[in-house]
Amino acid sequence: MSLHKHDLHARGKQLVESLRHSPRSNPFLITERQDEKQLCISSRTLRVNDFVLIKTLGTGTFARVWLTRLKDQKDKSKVYALKILRKADVIKLKQVEHVRNERKALAAVLDHPFITNLVASFSDEKSLYMLFKLDYCPGGEIFSYLRRQRRFSEETSRFYAAEITMTIEFLHDIHGIAYRDLKPENILLDADGHIKLVDFGFAKQVDNRETYTLCGTPEYLAPEVIHNSGHGLAVDWWALGILIYEFLIGQPPFWDSNPLRIYEQIVEGRLRFPANMPPAAQNIISLLCKTNPSERLGHISGGSTRVKSHPFFQNVIWDDLFYRRVKGPILPRLSHPADTSNFEEYPDPPDARHANIYTDDLKKKYEALFSDF
Amino acid sequence: MAQNTGAAPSVNTNSREKSPIPKIGEDEEFEVTSPTDMSFRQANTGTTSVGAALFGGSAFAEGGTQFGGPLFSRSPFQGDGDDGEQEGELAPLPGRTAQQGFPNNYALGRRTSVSAESLNPTEAGSDSWTPPRHPKTEEQISRLKAAVSSNFLFSHLDDDQFTTVLDALVEKPIPAKDIKVISQGDAGDYFYIVEKGNFDIYIHPSGAVQPGPDGLGNKVASTGPGGSFGELALMYNAPRAATVISTDPKSTLWALDRITFRRILMDSAFQRRRMYEAFLEEVPLLSSLKSYERSKIADALDTIKYPANSVIIHEGDPGDAFYLLESGEAEATKNGVSGPVKNYSRGDYFGELALLDDKPRAASITTKTEVKVARLGRDGFKRLLGPVEEIMRRAEYELDAAKSPVSK
Repeated sequence: MSLHKHDLHARGKQLVESLRHSPRSNPFLITERQDEKQLCISSRTLRVNDFVLIKTLGTGTFARVWLTRLKDQKDKSKVYALKILRKADVIKLKQVEHVRNERKALAAVLDHPFITNLVASFSDEKSLYMLFKLDYCPGGEIFSYLRRQRRFSEETSRFYAAEITMTIEFLHDIHGIAYRDLKPENILLDADGHIKLVDFGFAKQVDNRETYTLCGTPEYLAPEVIHNSGHGLAVDWWALGILIYEFLIGQPPFWDSNPLRIYEQIVEGRLRFPANMPPAAQNIISLLCKTNPSERLGHISGGSTRVKSHPFFQNVIWDDLFYRRVKGPILPRLSHPADTSNFEEYPDPPDARHANIYTDDLKKKYEALFSDF
Repeated sequence: MAQNTGAAPSVNTNSREKSPIPKIGEDEEFEVTSPTDMSFRQANTGTTSVGAALFGGSAFAEGGTQFGGPLFSRSPFQGDGDDGEQEGELAPLPGRTAQQGFPNNYALGRRTSVSAESLNPTEAGSDSWTPPRHPKTEEQISRLKAAVSSNFLFSHLDDDQFTTVLDALVEKPIPAKDIKVISQGDAGDYFYIVEKGNFDIYIHPSGAVQPGPDGLGNKVASTGPGGSFGELALMYNAPRAATVISTDPKSTLWALDRITFRRILMDSAFQRRRMYEAFLEEVPLLSSLKSYERSKIADALDTIKYPANSVIIHEGDPGDAFYLLESGEAEATKNGVSGPVKNYSRGDYFGELALLDDKPRAASITTKTEVKVARLGRDGFKRLLGPVEEIMRRAEYELDAAKSPVSK
């Protein structure tokens, strides 16, 4: 019996390893790579003890992402990102539904060059785990580059905006998934300077229906989210407008030290542009940041095609980006594949003794909801 | 406190950056012209505006404090003589004039996501939730209306939603002096409007109430009848940005919790959408629409109210919009024809051929009672779904003059 278990366990780990070198395929052919899809469903055999936690790559309110590798992996350059969520925290912060959505969305959106691929998920008594391929995104967050450079050139902004546009198009048109948390903090750079969209914590398959739970990042919330009048895929197009603005100007268009004043400005929707901002950029931001989603570029007739054919994206050769035939405008400086120096430093996790406890009561009530992992 | 961090003069990228980006003189750079002027200025001089003090900044505390830490401690562009590459990255933008009107105290830290409780509408019929109703006098209602009507969280509500929200406010007596209604740093679930009595507002620079005699921090403002505080709690659970404490032996507050507020908004939006979708399904001109297209249209409808005896459509005017009748009654009349040629009630529609072209209206529509209509302009339709002709090509549409006297 224990031998059998051991075999299964070994096979789980082998599968994880084998994934690293699977060829990248066209995401619009979603039938390929069934093996990975299956693995992605959830792994009953992986355990957190199989991994060495090397360094924190990011923290959220209830999750922490580690750079990690398999313990018995001899090749030290084979690294993954492991996202760990403590069940008790997920429940306390009322994020059970979001975590389930995240797991579902990630399993659905494999095989896109600009999305970090979920390799496996598993769980134990206290926590949920999601394991991601990390072989191509050691560049850290676009956020860090943007703050360091203060603002991006039109050319650089266009490149990232184009890749984000294709990613939104893929999520919306192929999967009906609203991402709902677009911001520079959630965009990583890979070794060739292409983007990787990470953190699907608020991603949800909404198709063409509306959903109501408020979520996102204050500066990037769409007016309909603030008003709780129901929101859908169109929120990502709004956020794309904010993102392009922040790339070009160095800060988002609606800001105040008091979040309520931000929301007031957002629902009013009055954009201000510096006089010498390129007209095409002003125009696409104005069209994306229409307070009424029924008038918003991306959501109106023509959908993402209309976004891609906007003059701001003139001269973008979309296929060259998608098939990574060109390199990005910023190339991260790397000394080795597991180099984490482009990521920010995070404090160590708080002492587990002060953490929320996953009590038997909670377990009884919620454990079934975590069974997807 | 977040707003202090965010507003501190040290928030100046250039002074911290080690990368060789040309310095931009931020100090003398801007004339702040935004409506948020006051808070920027006051924040800059170190005193906090009441608004910011009350509700401000807690969501940014984390990002703010991280700023200046490891974020800029290491630059991959540093040294190595790649200054050229770096400068190539710098946008040609800013310059002093270009930046006018932009606040220069933008908090540059990483931003934390926010999220409220997950809310799912209950389908009509199976609905077990009804908003709480706490009766109020006319006078109380009008006072409450005055207190919140300029607040952006309430100003966009329609009359029905507004009434439901006001009904849901629950009275909260504060029986003594020195009672902490909300404590800085605590989880926030309620929004309050002052009915009677006065309250002092304190902020402790640490971001939370501390033990000991000075634990409340500094008094930054006071509020009295008609005042309100804690609005951010109506959006999501953020730590309270201030402590509010009673100063009279007896006071009264009205309280509204986030879940009730957001449920009221959600349920009414949800029901409105489903109602419009159902109405649209009955319009033969639109019968070839796919259900997601109908949802999009339902989302784009504008609600308009007309008093009794007003004219919605004038015979002879060019048609530019189509109408669904949501409540009330109306009738169609034609010049030279005595009496109404058709009557309309809830769920009926008129003027739909205006979606095709701007041919003159063939009849007038006049309201018999107070009427609520949902309007969709031809431009709005085209913008959303493309020309209606293409959609009609999917199915033959039989013009029925008897059904639709307005257009023929």
